[in-house]
Amino acid sequence: MRFDRLVAGMHKDMYRYAAWLSRDPAIAEDVVQEAMLRAWKSLDALRDDAAAKHWLLTIVRRENARHFERRRLETVDIDELTASQSAMLAATDDSDLDEVRTAIFRLDDEYREPLVLQVLLGHSTGEIAELMNLRQGAVLTRLHRARIRLKQIFDGDEKGSAQIHGSTT
Amino acid sequence: MNCEQYREAFASEPGKSSAEAAAHVAQCTECATFRSDILALDKLIGRALEIEVPELRMPELAPLGEDDKVTTLPYRRISTPVWLGLAASVAIAAVLGIRLLTSDTGYPTLEAEILAHLDHEPQALLVTNTPVPAERLQKVVSANADMDTSPGLVTYATNCVINGHLVPHLVIQGERGPVTILLLAEEMIEAPLPIEGEGVRGVILPVGSGSIAVIGEREESLEKIEQQVASAVHWKT
Repeated sequence: MRFDRLVAGMHKDMYRYAAWLSRDPAIAEDVVQEAMLRAWKSLDALRDDAAAKHWLLTIVRRENARHFERRRLETVDIDELTASQSAMLAATDDSDLDEVRTAIFRLDDEYREPLVLQVLLGHSTGEIAELMNLRQGAVLTRLHRARIRLKQIFDGDEKGSAQIHGSTT
Repeated sequence: MNCEQYREAFASEPGKSSAEAAAHVAQCTECATFRSDILALDKLIGRALEIEVPELRMPELAPLGEDDKVTTLPYRRISTPVWLGLAASVAIAAVLGIRLLTSDTGYPTLEAEILAHLDHEPQALLVTNTPVPAERLQKVVSANADMDTSPGLVTYATNCVINGHLVPHLVIQGERGPVTILLLAEEMIEAPLPIEGEGVRGVILPVGSGSIAVIGEREESLEKIEQQVASAVHWKT
């Protein structure tokens, strides 16, 4: 079945994208479920299977936005994580990896999302610009800042660390 | 290329390199160290992002009724015979040709003309991630307007005749399917005009001395697109 094939092939990417967008595995599961339902209803509109990845991630992105609009979630407090958030951040035996995960988790949405799209999902900056409705120059700036902030943290630069600890929604 | 330029370029796209960047890093030890640091960091980031994925849980997918489906060609009347569609296309083309000269549309309202136009341009409504080349988009839009920013992934752009005027006809990829945007520089209206078609809805919105039409699937969220287009468009006339 076409839908099963497309979703099975994209499920990991959809889930990880949703998890890093929402910063909550439990929410990510709901978002992916809702996104799959919407994709199912719209499948006839997808003429080109090669466009499926962009299409599905766009649906995930909008479902995530809808979820947060509905729930009107407040600022995520890094010191008061839910069990599923904690599990997401500390799921390895590698403490370095857990630290990086926490640092990415704390990045502002505007920096975290393009980084996820580029590094995890292999999007070009042009594709990220389309998905996020940004100019390509803005995407490049955000990617640069995201990496510099993470580098500052691991270089022990307090200023960078302070920037990254800014409010997140 | 200086160190700042190199680092900015490398930290935004580590996977991309240019001859100029390679030449710079070959002779700058500090930037070579920066490059190594970023590459190492990126490896860690990549591993960190690969969080564990729970087993795929497929939602219950009930068979869809015709009303549930979002189709690529929402404006087409499926029961219409092909020959009738072709004949209608020829007739419409003739009418539009005459209308361009006379400005007498033959449609009771602007909304009706827009729906009829979309009905006969189904090739615009493909789901694809292939964007229209920027040059073409610019050329089409410049018929009567400028746009500061693109409202999304534009996959179709052409100039059409609506109410006797040449109009940029764009299609972007919405969540539920393609969304049509018409830039109506010559159509000054006082208040928004809703558009209701077969399986589609939309609106004609006043924007300065002209208006824009935005039409998509019934369940499509059009408001954000409307706002983006309205704030990005500037009329030439």
